[in-house]
Amino acid sequence: MSIKYALLGILAEKDLHGYEIKTSFDDKVGEFWSLNYGQIYSTLERLEKEDLVTHDRQAQDKRPDKKIFSITAEGRKQLEEWLAEPVSKLRALRDEFFIKLMFMDSNNPTAILELIEKQKALYLKQMNRLTQRKLALKKSAYNRHALISELLIDAGLFHSEADINWLTLCESKIKAAMTKNKLSR
Amino acid sequence: MIELKNVSKQYRQGARAVYALKDVSLSIQKGEFLSIMGASGSGKSTLLNLVGGLDQPSAGEVFINAKPLHGISDSELTLIRRRQVGFIFQFFNLLPLLTAIENVGLPLLVDGLPFTRVKPMAEAILHKIGLAARAEHRPEQLSGGEMQRVAIARALITNPAVLLADEPTGNLDSHTGEEILLLLKSLHEQGQTIIMVTHDSKAAAYGTRIITLKDGALSQDVAIGGPLA
Ligand SMILES: Nc1ncnc2c1ncn2[C@@H]1O[C@H](COP(=O)(O)OP(=O)(O)O)[C@@H](O)[C@H]1O
Ligand SMILES: [Mg+2]
Repeated sequence: MSIKYALLGILAEKDLHGYEIKTSFDDKVGEFWSLNYGQIYSTLERLEKEDLVTHDRQAQDKRPDKKIFSITAEGRKQLEEWLAEPVSKLRALRDEFFIKLMFMDSNNPTAILELIEKQKALYLKQMNRLTQRKLALKKSAYNRHALISELLIDAGLFHSEADINWLTLCESKIKAAMTKNKLSR
Repeated sequence: MIELKNVSKQYRQGARAVYALKDVSLSIQKGEFLSIMGASGSGKSTLLNLVGGLDQPSAGEVFINAKPLHGISDSELTLIRRRQVGFIFQFFNLLPLLTAIENVGLPLLVDGLPFTRVKPMAEAILHKIGLAARAEHRPEQLSGGEMQRVAIARALITNPAVLLADEPTGNLDSHTGEEILLLLKSLHEQGQTIIMVTHDSKAAAYGTRIITLKDGALSQDVAIGGPLA
């Protein structure tokens, strides 16, 4: 995916240590996308091999040197090209829920309906949390960073709404099939 | 504060009877912002109308502030409707020939108060929701978002115990709808009890509690703030 470009985007603003890169990433998109240090370091290693990123060593007392990463001219060029392109891939249907639906016992539609119900309740709670974050953001000092965060929260809300609407449709179609006796054996 | 006890509502549609609500029991606390979700036809508006005294249940009881809405005279019910509840709707329901300030003052005017007394009160509310400059405009001169804010001001002028909103963002684009929801949320933060009907989960997420109606029955009650799983 585009961990590569996220890291290039972060380094384009400022040279940073590995752990600062993680903090910046979490701060910007952590609500929707979680990365661990391993993923960050292996991506940085790859980007160095491709000459998109370099590092400097900073000596520390009684501890190994600290690496400070920065973006190269070629890295900046690739980032700008990537930013200018629209995204061509549709949102991937790789949700864990789809896999569950696929493997649930179709002889037991009641269990599927119960799962759908629970899933909807969970989405609603998450949407409420996102909304509360948005409200808090709107009350804080408004700057460009806050606007972008708000727009990402909105994206999360719209996607969750689509998921809930789809689950409602599933419910309705499964029930219709049950009354026609297609599913319950 | 609001209590529904085993409430059912039956409508006749020609020869057959339709249950719009089936044995719904629900209590709503003061200061709650309750969202009611459900497919169209699931009984959301019926429930709201019963709470607001616009309609009577076929069975069961409704109480506002421990006062029953049944077994009371028509004039007592009218009084509760006028003083205890404020309604807002999807299509705003403003009177087209009246200005914004006259629409806002209407609930008190029909109560017999003179316009000279109502005017400053209506002005104060319009000012509070940022519409002072629109006071002399008629609905057709206002945008959808402005019309809904006028409707909210009209609902608030009686200082109602509960604000009842039926699909308040249903006829607005996402951005304008969000502005209305932010206004409702700020009223809620100032202590206003709100019951809002919506089929939009993004709108419902503003509530402190979300219930779902299915075929007239209560199917899900999600209290917000508890653990996720
Ligand atoms: N005045 C009425 N006469 C007959 N049937 C009605 C009346 N009002 C509502 N209904 C029926 O009751 C059910 C619930 O309606 P309503 O409460 O308006 O649902 P919602 O607001 O969730 O869309 C529907 O089947 C509707 O057709
Ligand atoms: Mg309705």
